[in-house]
Amino acid sequence: MLKVKNVTLRFGGLVANNDVSMEVRDGKITGLIGPNGAGKTTFFNCISGVYTPNEGKIIFEGKEIQGYRPYQINKAGISRTYQIINLFKKMKVYENVIVGMHSRLNSSVTDSLFKTKKEREEEKKAYEKALGLLDFVGLLELKDEPAGSLSYGKQRLLEICRALASDPKILLLDEPAAGMNATEKNELDLLCKKIVERGVSILIIEHDMKLMMGLADYMYVLNYGKLLAEGAPLEIQNNPAVIEAYLGGE
Amino acid sequence: MNLRLKNAISNRKKDLIILLVLLLMPVFLNVIHFEYAFTIVSFIFIYIIAVSGLDIVFGYSGQISLGHAAFFAIGAYGSAILHKYTHIPVILTMIIAAFLAAVIGAGLAYPASKLVFHFLSLATIAFGEIVYQLVAQSPYEITGNFTGFFTDSVSIFGYKLNTYSKFYYFGLFSVLVFLLMKNNLIKSKVGRAFIAIRENSHAADGMGINVRNYKILAFAISAFFTAFAGGMYAHCVKFISPDTFMYKQSVMFLTMLLFGGTASRFGPIFGAVSVLILNEALRATEKYQLLIYGVLLLIVIVVLPGGLYGAYQDVAVKFKKKGVNKC
Ligand SMILES: Nc1ncnc2c1ncn2[C@@H]1O[C@H](COP(=O)(O)OP(=O)(O)OP(=O)(O)O)[C@@H](O)[C@H]1O
Ligand SMILES: [Mg+2]
Repeated sequence: MLKVKNVTLRFGGLVANNDVSMEVRDGKITGLIGPNGAGKTTFFNCISGVYTPNEGKIIFEGKEIQGYRPYQINKAGISRTYQIINLFKKMKVYENVIVGMHSRLNSSVTDSLFKTKKEREEEKKAYEKALGLLDFVGLLELKDEPAGSLSYGKQRLLEICRALASDPKILLLDEPAAGMNATEKNELDLLCKKIVERGVSILIIEHDMKLMMGLADYMYVLNYGKLLAEGAPLEIQNNPAVIEAYLGGE
Repeated sequence: MNLRLKNAISNRKKDLIILLVLLLMPVFLNVIHFEYAFTIVSFIFIYIIAVSGLDIVFGYSGQISLGHAAFFAIGAYGSAILHKYTHIPVILTMIIAAFLAAVIGAGLAYPASKLVFHFLSLATIAFGEIVYQLVAQSPYEITGNFTGFFTDSVSIFGYKLNTYSKFYYFGLFSVLVFLLMKNNLIKSKVGRAFIAIRENSHAADGMGINVRNYKILAFAISAFFTAFAGGMYAHCVKFISPDTFMYKQSVMFLTMLLFGGTASRFGPIFGAVSVLILNEALRATEKYQLLIYGVLLLIVIVVLPGGLYGAYQDVAVKFKKKGVNKC
């Protein structure tokens, strides 16, 4: 579904992603781990259009998408959450979700200016869909709160909810469990599985190994921008090079 | 749900009462022989529309403009000149000039949309200055330069709205139409995109919003509003001269917006009404106009960050809470 081939991205002299190749398989949860500064977020930024790789190809559903702008990637069917929470803090919770639907709404500017019937119906559907999604992630009661007033863990859930609103085929999660307590992490684990059941494939960055072991079908390890290892979670856990990278990095 | 319905009905009632008062106001003003009020009210209508335009680009999408006097000028001169040479009815020339301003606004925003706040403010100041210079020293004196330019009043089915009191209903109708359009826009996909860009443009981009296009769109729609107001001004006063379109005018729009309250339904109304009435009251001190705007702006920035409307809302919320406590 998503194939990344030999992607390299440089920040001046620093090679943040060095010849990285990987694949996100249909209907699976793919994990991406690595020590701090390994280049994981940068890799997400390449896929999601924030950066254009200096070299390499990103192929989504048979089409090369490297060099697309973020809004185009979202429209194409890949949406994401952010490591540093990136919500519209003053907007209400449900409004954040409807903004996430942007690329799926078809009303024109004139429809909007004159509130045509088509626009009203679309808005009504969007609102109902947002409530459905909020229910799905367990934030329905908070729908009218300003997003910025939510707890850290709930803001992470809202980011996921907002990302789901564009009906993505692939969801990129950048450390969704950061700042969550144990209960919230368990709920997140369940939520990810439910998301995959909806037909959305997931690529997830996460430092919590326990969570990762339970979730990922397949894993990639980045170290100093380079792919260090890949394989099933158990293989990765017992891979000496991976253990070395983590211990050496601490 | 029931409560919401009740609220909706009582809001409707309030709206109807306000509308009724506005519709009957001319009768009242005529009875008490306060004709001069029509002049002020006409300007209030014009400024509400102009400032609402600025609110779309500044209040909702977070892009500063210190050059909106230019759009006001394009609407005014565009319509007046077009009417003089083509004899197309004034209302149509006002709309055409507003579309022209929208196109120019988009053209300005296209390069400017990449600029950050302070550079954008410089670019818009420069734009305002360019338009002012073109109007003041036009080729072939097409604008009448410093002598000014006389033009016709709006006429509806041959009936000329050539006094301030006749202009009243046209002004009121225009305000209602433009406020309705603004409100529709804000409560739509487009308005949400504007606000999302203001709140967090990176996230907006990631959520599928073409940030640049929406910034351009905001400028274009904003220019349309302010230019239409400019057209109203030209054909209400029936005379325009470069003085009206100086930098000071852009500052006036911004003062009204900030003083009334940005990104709100009633902010531009509160702002236009209060600043214009204040202006009238301080007529003798015209020299100090910019000083007064400066002081008003300071007050807003320091004491009333939400503007008058924001302050009004805060008070209303407090009263409501008290009411609940009593029950
Ligand atoms: N915009 C940028 N400009 C320059 N260097 C950058 C930029 N973004 C990231 N880097 C550098 O690139 C490297 C990879 O950073 P990245 O954020 O991708 O790491 P990460 O694997 O996500 O780490 P973490 O686990 O801490 O989130 C780091 O050395 C970082 O300092
Ligand atoms: Mg990171």
